[in-house]
Amino acid sequence: MGDYVWFHDVSWHASYAVYFFVIGILAGLSFISYGSWRTPALRPLREKTAYASFVLLALGGLLLIADLSQPLRFLNILNPAYLNFTSPLAWGALNIVAFSIASIAYILALRKGDEKNGKLLALITALLALGLPIYTGFDLTVHQSRPVWNTPIMPVLFVALAIASGSAVGALLAAGNTEAQKVLREYMLWSAAAVAVMLVSIMGTTNYGGSASELTFMIMTTGTMGLLFIGVGFLGGSVAPAVMLFAPMGKSQSIVLVSALLILAGSAALRYVLLMAPQQLQTLY
Amino acid sequence: MSEGSKVSAGGGKKRYAMVVDTRRCIGCMACQVACKAEYDTPLGVNRTWVPYKVVGKYPNVKKQFLPRLCNHCEDPPCVRNCPVEATFVVEDGGFVLQRYERCIGCRSCMAACPYNARFMLPSHRTYTPITNVVDKCTFCFHRVTQNLVPACVQTCIGRSRVFGDLNDPNSEVSYLVAKNATQVLRPEEGTKPHVFYIGADRNTTEFGRDAYKKVDVMEPERAAFKKHFKL
Repeated sequence: MGDYVWFHDVSWHASYAVYFFVIGILAGLSFISYGSWRTPALRPLREKTAYASFVLLALGGLLLIADLSQPLRFLNILNPAYLNFTSPLAWGALNIVAFSIASIAYILALRKGDEKNGKLLALITALLALGLPIYTGFDLTVHQSRPVWNTPIMPVLFVALAIASGSAVGALLAAGNTEAQKVLREYMLWSAAAVAVMLVSIMGTTNYGGSASELTFMIMTTGTMGLLFIGVGFLGGSVAPAVMLFAPMGKSQSIVLVSALLILAGSAALRYVLLMAPQQLQTLY
Repeated sequence: MSEGSKVSAGGGKKRYAMVVDTRRCIGCMACQVACKAEYDTPLGVNRTWVPYKVVGKYPNVKKQFLPRLCNHCEDPPCVRNCPVEATFVVEDGGFVLQRYERCIGCRSCMAACPYNARFMLPSHRTYTPITNVVDKCTFCFHRVTQNLVPACVQTCIGRSRVFGDLNDPNSEVSYLVAKNATQVLRPEEGTKPHVFYIGADRNTTEFGRDAYKKVDVMEPERAAFKKHFKL
């Protein structure tokens, strides 16, 4: 008793988790838009997903800029004289700019009805969209002193979450279109199952890590964080939808829609816990 | 911070380091106050701070002090992670410094630092326009380039803090590091810190299992901290 500790603040606040959530959805929607060129059942979603992805990009970009304590200096990150390529944030900024340009070109091609260039631009946009969850995963992975973050699974988990949450939004946009929902059900099922497996792997390695990892595991699995991580994220947002979609009644439209909502709530909760929980212990050091 | 200031007058490059002899620290916090005075560090944040733990069992109890500051690492994760090179290492001297005019406030360096040495400056300050950017200990670069020691070292009443050039075999820090068993904080992170501790206790340098069991009496303090310092 009577110990004196200095209270440190967490570095990244919840707004960053919202950004992760938004960027995941927009990446997933870009995958669906490209998928529509290969899978005819997704054709009705081509324009809707492309537009929704662009709107979310604008929203995510504004969130990211507003989260800076010097928002007007966001252009510094695009200044070639300043760019530091050892930072994933620098790569992320370039990725976002390239994605924005490709996304605009793709939407213009869609509006012109240019099928030939549209397919190529859809592929480029989807590939650049793949970089978004990967870079956000690396944003966390590179921090060597943080349990959970500093694991190679983070970029892969963020890609799986992007596919899951993008497909969930796609399923909601395709309400009434059973053919499209059939395809999106498959995407949601396997990506939600993959997320669940990766969360088990994260929990295992964290619980059996060093003292900092074990303490972080305790923070992540008890109290409010535990409710969000285990309850909403793991059980509600990945295991439950995977089981429901896999079950014989999983092909019904109502189950697909409920699963989509669960996946969205779960992936938002997971982003929050994965961002905030590994920062808690450090505030006491 | 001027990057052009010369550190070495000639000859080889310098590598500054600090040795903190915890056996000599009496917990007067004069270093913390001197640092605050030197930089007008705002309320709620510190470039250096002296946490302590009370160890032992009554009546044989004592306070374990662990003065803390930026470790001016050889391989600093903050420098690697800054997207705009706002933080950098001064090759001659090894200072890890901050370009305030370039910092975008993404807090990536804060997240990367294993030592919690970085903090965000508030949006309003009385005597300086430097606001809303990340700040940290500079090893008193402006004083050292004028052949002075850092403010915390100057004021340390027990001579617990010793500062000097590790590359100079005749310096006091070289002698202390060579002749004493020293520890660095979180060596497992591979950052190669340049703040060396003599007699640091594992109770204070490592995450103890009691970190999770939050001390009840601390909770009102933490709540008050969060309420008053929206950092």
